[in-house]
Amino acid sequence: MKKLFDKDNFIFFDMNKEQKKQSLITSLFLIIAFVIASFIFLYAFYGFVDCIGSIVSGSMDVAISDLLRNLPLILCSFMSIWVILLLQASFRRVNDEKWFKSLLKNAIALIAFAVTNIIYIIVGLAIGKYTSMVEGSPSRIYPLDAFMYSFIIIALGVFVVLYVKKYHEKLQYLAPKHGEIVTKARGLYCTFVSFWMLFAMFGLSAGLYSIFIYDFMHEHVFFGIAVILVYLLSPFMLAMWEFFYNEIKEEKKKELLLPLSLISLGVSVLFAVLYIVSLSLNKDAPSNAGFGMFPVAFAASVNIATLLMVFTPVIVSIVMTIKGILLRKKTA
Amino acid sequence: MNKKSLFVAPLMMSLLLTSCGNVIDYKEHLEDYVYAMKYHDDFNVLQLTDIHWNYNSSTVKSKTYLTKLLAEVDKHLKAAQGESAKIDLIEITGDQFMLANSYHVQTFVKFFEEKAKEYGFLYTVIHGNHDRHGLYNPNWLSDQFRHAEHCIYIEPEDNLYGRSNFIINLTSDGEINSPTSWQLVNLDSGASFSETALSPFRDYDYIREDQVDWWLKEHARVGETVPAIAYYHIPQQDNLEAWNKIHNDGATYKHKFFKLEGFADNGNEEYASKFISEGRNHNLKAAFMGHAHNVDWTVDYDGVVLGLGVKTGTELYYAHIEKDSTDPNMVEGLASVGMNENFDLIGASLVTIKNATDFELEHLYYNERTSGDFAKWVKW
Repeated sequence: MKKLFDKDNFIFFDMNKEQKKQSLITSLFLIIAFVIASFIFLYAFYGFVDCIGSIVSGSMDVAISDLLRNLPLILCSFMSIWVILLLQASFRRVNDEKWFKSLLKNAIALIAFAVTNIIYIIVGLAIGKYTSMVEGSPSRIYPLDAFMYSFIIIALGVFVVLYVKKYHEKLQYLAPKHGEIVTKARGLYCTFVSFWMLFAMFGLSAGLYSIFIYDFMHEHVFFGIAVILVYLLSPFMLAMWEFFYNEIKEEKKKELLLPLSLISLGVSVLFAVLYIVSLSLNKDAPSNAGFGMFPVAFAASVNIATLLMVFTPVIVSIVMTIKGILLRKKTA
Repeated sequence: MNKKSLFVAPLMMSLLLTSCGNVIDYKEHLEDYVYAMKYHDDFNVLQLTDIHWNYNSSTVKSKTYLTKLLAEVDKHLKAAQGESAKIDLIEITGDQFMLANSYHVQTFVKFFEEKAKEYGFLYTVIHGNHDRHGLYNPNWLSDQFRHAEHCIYIEPEDNLYGRSNFIINLTSDGEINSPTSWQLVNLDSGASFSETALSPFRDYDYIREDQVDWWLKEHARVGETVPAIAYYHIPQQDNLEAWNKIHNDGATYKHKFFKLEGFADNGNEEYASKFISEGRNHNLKAAFMGHAHNVDWTVDYDGVVLGLGVKTGTELYYAHIEKDSTDPNMVEGLASVGMNENFDLIGASLVTIKNATDFELEHLYYNERTSGDFAKWVKW
C-alpha cells in the first residue's frame, strides 16, 4: 500500500512549479464542470425517461411534443458534457499542435451548440411552443435558464478561442503532458469510457440528491445508506482512475494496476453485497422511501437501472483486475 | 480524526438521518385517520386522476386545461342540480407527478388552492405508483398536501402500509362524532416492489392485508350499514376478474366505457387483495381508481361498482378514440357510450351521492380543440 502512494510514481511530482499550478487549476475546473454537468444530465435524463415512457405506452405524439419542449435542457446537458471534453483536451495533452487544434475544435463546437439553443428558444417563443420566456417547468424560469446558460457557454467558448489564439506561442506550460490512449480497440474503449462517464455523472448527482430526498425513516435506513453508497461509488471510481491511476508514470502503471484494481474490486463487491442484503431485508423500501433516483427502473417497472448501478462498478473492477494480472504475467 | 472517531462518525450520521418520531399502532389510533365533512343530498365528488406532471410538462398549458375542465364541471352541475350546486370534493387519485420536482408540487398545490377558493370545494390527494418518484423527499411531498388550507390529507407516522390511508366521513353536521351518512375511503395502493433483491422486474403493488383490516375497523366505528366508496390508484385483481367473466364466461354484469389496455394490476394470485371481496360484505358500494390511462371501463361486479376514472390531461400517454377503428375493444367501448366520433380519452369522472343509499356516476370527456373545445358527459 505504501508503494502505491510513493511520490516517485506520479507525473505530478516531476513537474515544475508552473506546470503544477496549471495542473491543479485544470483539475479543479474539471471537477467543477463534472459536478455541474452531473446535475444537468440528471435533469435532462428525467425528461428523456418520461419521453421513453410515452413511447413505450404508445403515445409517440406526446413523446415528440415533450422532446421538442425539453430540447433546450437536453442541449444544455450536451454542452455541459462538452465542457468536460474541452477540459479533458487540455488535461490530456499529447503534443502541442494536437492539443491546440483540439481545444479550438471543442470551443467552436460549444459555441455552435449554444447558438443553436438560443435560436431554438427564440423560435419556440415565436411559434407559441413556449407561452413565455419564464413559462416554468422543469424550473421556475424555464426556458430562460437554458437561454442564459447558453450565453455563458458562448462566453466560455469565445474566451477559449481568443485565449488559445493569442497565447498559442507562449502556452508551453499550460497543462501537464499525459500519455495518449493507446489500445487495440480505441473506438470500443472510448465508447465504454463515455458510457462510464455518463454513469458516474448520474451516480454523483443521484447520490448527492438522495441524501436530501430519501426518507430515512424506521426500517428504510439501511437501504437508504446502501443505495447512496452504490450511487457514489461510480463517480469515486472514475475519479480514482482519472486523477490517480492516470497520474501514475507509464513505467509504474504495470506494477500498480493490480493492487489498485483489487482495492476497487473489494469496495465495489462490498457495496453490491450491502445493497442486495438491504433490499432483501426490506423489498418495499425503494418505492416507499423515495425512488426518484432510479427513473428507468420505476418508469418501466424493471430493475435494469438498479442492477446496472450495482453491478457495473463490479464489472469494471473485474476487467481491470484481469488486465492487471495479465500485465504482471507479461512483465514477469 | 482518530480510528475511533472514524468508526463512530458513520453511526452517528445514520442516527441523525433517521427520524426519531413515535410510530403509532393504527389499531389503537383509528380516530387519527378521520376527517368529517357535512353531508347533503347531491354531494358531488369529482375524480381527477393521472395528471402526471413531469420534467417535460408545460404547467401553464396543463393549468389552462384543468381550469377549463373545472369550469365545464361547474357549469354542468349548475345546469343539472340548480345554481347552488357545486363540486363538494375533488378526489385526486394518484400519479399527480412522475419524474417531477419541488417546483411542480408547489405549483400544483397553489393551483388547486386557488381553484378551491374560487369554486368552494375541498380536495384530497392519494399516492399513485409514481408520486414518490421525483426529486423531493416523500415526507416533504406529504407535508405540502398536509399544510394546504383546502386539502384533506392525513398521514400519521404509523405501522400501516402506505402513506395516504385515511377516511372522510360525511356526517349530518360535519362533526366527526355525528352520525355518518357515507364513508369515503382513501387508500394508498402502493407503487411497486421486488419479489427478490435480484428480480429483473418489479411487481405493481396491491392493497395489503393490514390496510383491509384497518378499513374494516374504521367502517365498524361508524356502523356496518353505512355505505362506503373507496378511492385508490392501482386496480386490484377484481377488475380483470369481472372483465374475464363477462368476455369469457358470458356473465351479465352491467358494464360500460373503454378498456383499451390491461388494468396493470399486480396480476399474481399470491398478491390478490381481499379489499373488494371483504368490502362486498361491508356495504362497499363502489371503488374508483386510476393507473391505466387507456381504461375507464366500469363494471358492477356482484354489487360493487368498480371503475377506472377518466385520465385527466394529456401528460405521458392517453388513448385516441377512433370511430372507424376495427379494434373490438374500441368498438365495444364506443357502442357502450353511444358515441360515433373521434375524441381523446381524457377528462374527469363525477360521482353524485344522491341520497342515503344511491349514487350516480358520469364520465366527462373533455378535449381542447382549436375549433372549440369538445365536452361530452356520459352517464353510467
